Amino acid sequence: MRYEIRVDGQLSETLAEAFPELGHVVMAGQTVLFGPVVDEAQLYGLLARCQSLGLRVVEMRQLPD
Amino acid sequence: MVSAVAESDKWVPGPTVPAVPGLPAVPGLPAVPYADPLGDPFLRTRFVLPARPATFLRRQRLVRHLDQALRTPLTLVNGAAGAGKTLLVADWAAGREEPVAWLTVEPGDRRPGVFWAYVLQALRSRGVPASGTVGFPADPSRVDGRLLAALAAELSGRDEPVVVVLDEYDRVTAPEIAEQLEFVLHHAGQGMRLVLVTRTEPLLPLHRYRAAGRLTEIRAAELAFTPEEAVALLELHGLALPVPAGRALVDRTRGWAAGLRLCALAARESADPEIYLKEFEADRSAVADFLLAEVLLRQPEETQDLLLRVSVLERFCPDLANALTGRTDAERLLVGLHRANAFVEDLGHSWYRLHPLFGEILRAHLRVRLPGLEPELHRRAARWLRSSGFLPESLAHGAAAGDWGFTAGALVDDLAIGQLFTGLRSEDLDQLFSRMGPEAASPAAHLVRAARDLARCDLDHGLAHLHHAEEGLNADVPDASEVAAALLSCALLEALAARLTGSPVRAERAARAAGELREEVPAHLLARHPELTALLLTHLGSTRLWAGRFEDARAALTTVAGTPGDASTVLPREEAMGHLALIDYLNGWPGRAERKALAAVSEAERFSLPPPCGSGVVRLVLAAVAVDRDELGRAQALLDETDRLRRATQDPVTAAGRAIVAARLQLLRGHAGAAVEAADPAVSAAMTSPWAASHEALVASAAHLAEGRPEKAAEALRDVSVDQPACAVEAARIQLAAGRPGAAMDLLDGVHAGGRTGPAVTVRAALVRARAAQQAGDTATARRLVGHALLDARRERLRRPFLDALPWIRPLLATAPLHDLAAGWLTSGPAPRDAPPRPEARPSPLVAAELSGRERDVLERLARLMSTEEIAADLYVSVNTVKTHLKSVYRKLAVNRRGDAVRRARDLGLL
Repeated sequence: MRYEIRVDGQLSETLAEAFPELGHVVMAGQTVLFGPVVDEAQLYGLLARCQSLGLRVVEMRQLPD
Repeated sequence: MVSAVAESDKWVPGPTVPAVPGLPAVPGLPAVPYADPLGDPFLRTRFVLPARPATFLRRQRLVRHLDQALRTPLTLVNGAAGAGKTLLVADWAAGREEPVAWLTVEPGDRRPGVFWAYVLQALRSRGVPASGTVGFPADPSRVDGRLLAALAAELSGRDEPVVVVLDEYDRVTAPEIAEQLEFVLHHAGQGMRLVLVTRTEPLLPLHRYRAAGRLTEIRAAELAFTPEEAVALLELHGLALPVPAGRALVDRTRGWAAGLRLCALAARESADPEIYLKEFEADRSAVADFLLAEVLLRQPEETQDLLLRVSVLERFCPDLANALTGRTDAERLLVGLHRANAFVEDLGHSWYRLHPLFGEILRAHLRVRLPGLEPELHRRAARWLRSSGFLPESLAHGAAAGDWGFTAGALVDDLAIGQLFTGLRSEDLDQLFSRMGPEAASPAAHLVRAARDLARCDLDHGLAHLHHAEEGLNADVPDASEVAAALLSCALLEALAARLTGSPVRAERAARAAGELREEVPAHLLARHPELTALLLTHLGSTRLWAGRFEDARAALTTVAGTPGDASTVLPREEAMGHLALIDYLNGWPGRAERKALAAVSEAERFSLPPPCGSGVVRLVLAAVAVDRDELGRAQALLDETDRLRRATQDPVTAAGRAIVAARLQLLRGHAGAAVEAADPAVSAAMTSPWAASHEALVASAAHLAEGRPEKAAEALRDVSVDQPACAVEAARIQLAAGRPGAAMDLLDGVHAGGRTGPAVTVRAALVRARAAQQAGDTATARRLVGHALLDARRERLRRPFLDALPWIRPLLATAPLHDLAAGWLTSGPAPRDAPPRPEARPSPLVAAELSGRERDVLERLARLMSTEEIAADLYVSVNTVKTHLKSVYRKLAVNRRGDAVRRARDLGLL
């Protein structure tokens, strides 16, 4: 499955490195992280990582394959 | 920091047989109840209230709300990282008169046994519970319901509540821990107030608490700073700001405490704070990301370097930080950072940690700014921690560095290899070393591999690794004292290998080597690891028992059973008590055997070990006693329980014990063929065990007799050793039943093993003589002998020998004095008890005992129509190993053939 996670604010390149398994696009006031997610466990892990980096998740959705 | 467990050396080389063979002293309370359940001094920093920095802003509205926590059983402080939860609760708790037990949860606490060990320790550090009835968990993955019930009962009896704060509770993810917490909370009543400080919603039924008005909730919205509070906070940082500017700042940070704090730091260090704040408001970066980078870049170069490097550590002191930077300025820098309230929190005793939020971001910066340095940092941390006596942390960092030679060496040199087998750390260690690759080739690495394989009863691989380790140790011996710890670890594994291969020579050699090596290793290491000695002596005792040397076995096992109890040795103690019980049973003392087995069970319960545990020998003794008492349903249930243990089929002693019980049950059900099959313990041992072989021969003989082949029955008895009184007497019974009274009497006359034999033997002997007398027409003697037997058997409720004699003994039991002796426990009579239950046929189990991973592998290949040889080749194991697995698969699925096994497995959805 592929997911995209939209977080509040523009991420620096450094912080985006905290998600090496995901690609990212910075747009006005938001950053979209996207990429393949193996299973739910990884999905929750990514959410927890967002939380521990102080990121606010505004949207998360599964992408069509 | 050296262990607080100041225990004396436990090695007792000589046998210490009690004058009266009876119950071993049931170990009382742990000798050092406040010792770390993980065998190390507790990191006190986890039990102290975090210090509030000078710039901490007390917010009265939150404090007043938190005061409600004393009126509701449960309080939840729930918000994002850096929302100011911990400091709020710590500040509130510091002002309380009630005792407050504080625990900062760490990732290692995710297993219930470990979690509760720390919660109990947090409570005990506040003098709660006062009594010693609560016990200690010793199995990492579970805690006994009775322990929790005892804790709740203790708490509910308190006059004033104890406030329990669990900080960073989000690190607890196991649903069963939430259930257990709720259980304790519910039953503790007014005696406990639980405060959970967490980033995520805990798995407690909050809606119920909320509906009943039993929940105090402080959530993110309430934790957020108001503009007025933001202004006050910035003022503490020396920044004066009008309220409208404060409002804009709160809008930008959403009132997030960490954001405001970073903002204050960044602004304070900028040329013009007001302009800086305006720019920050206009910026669109992620708040934490932006601010942290800003604040970090404003630090001097060496401070930045320090912060990046310590980000790999959970906590650190200046010396450890210096080890990572290679400089000597950490103390000055850390004090400065803490004073400025930037990045680091003071844990007291000059230990610090990074604020969890900043830690994550700093690690991201580390990877970008100093790429590839992480392993080296872990390696340096591991070495510093090792030399300072923090073994678990050292192992974790050694593993993170991938430096397996060092990591395995640290475990072995600390004499901690026994922790792979017993104690709260076993699962974590096993998991940690599961990542070790084949390239690590030091003797210590081979020892760790051997230990992990042997712990899983994988003899093929375990012995090979042990052999490699020994070769390595013998090859380079620059200084014998340097490898003493490794050689002693080797001796432990040798003893275990000896036990699993039924090789007494090997076991004695290992014990002798261990005795000499103990002189060469530092005494404090031995004292810190009592489990090493306890395990070694248990293996020695078990091997001696296998060899039929009961008294020698008893000497070693009694030493273990008498070891003062703590969590690290409870598993070997339980096993030693079980083996002592088995000796009593084999000597014909079912009552004593049962008492010892039950003492072992209650000791295991006190430490929350799962039933069954270890090799399962305790359960088997209870099952064997149940057969003697004709409680066949109970015997079968106990037998099924031990089948859940992999060890039960691979450990020679347990496998033999299991074979005896299973075969006797099959005989009683009239399944002679199945009994013969069950009587074979199916272990490959270096020597045959006299008692195991005798019991096997007896079953074969009894089966022949039952199927009408007295000649063959008598022939089979030739393999029965007369040194085993219980077997000799049973053999005499069969001889008599086969029409050979002379041979029977010869056997009985040969049984004179001093005071060793108990009622289970004497009762059976008396019954054989009685039957012989009856056949000879001497009814008076027969009656007198049966009377003696009844008297001996009554106390022990030994029903089976009489039921075996039912056809001929019935008329005797009907006569006056004997009728009274048998009434109530053996036959229906004036006493309230009914007649003993008849051997009932048990339906085959609805759900098969769970298959092990390996058994499943074999089964799957069976389903693909592979031959035994093909399966062996495919799984890289020997043909015999595959056969053993097949046997257990058949047994667990209750089938006898390959085709049936596959069919049954399909029916059960196993394939």
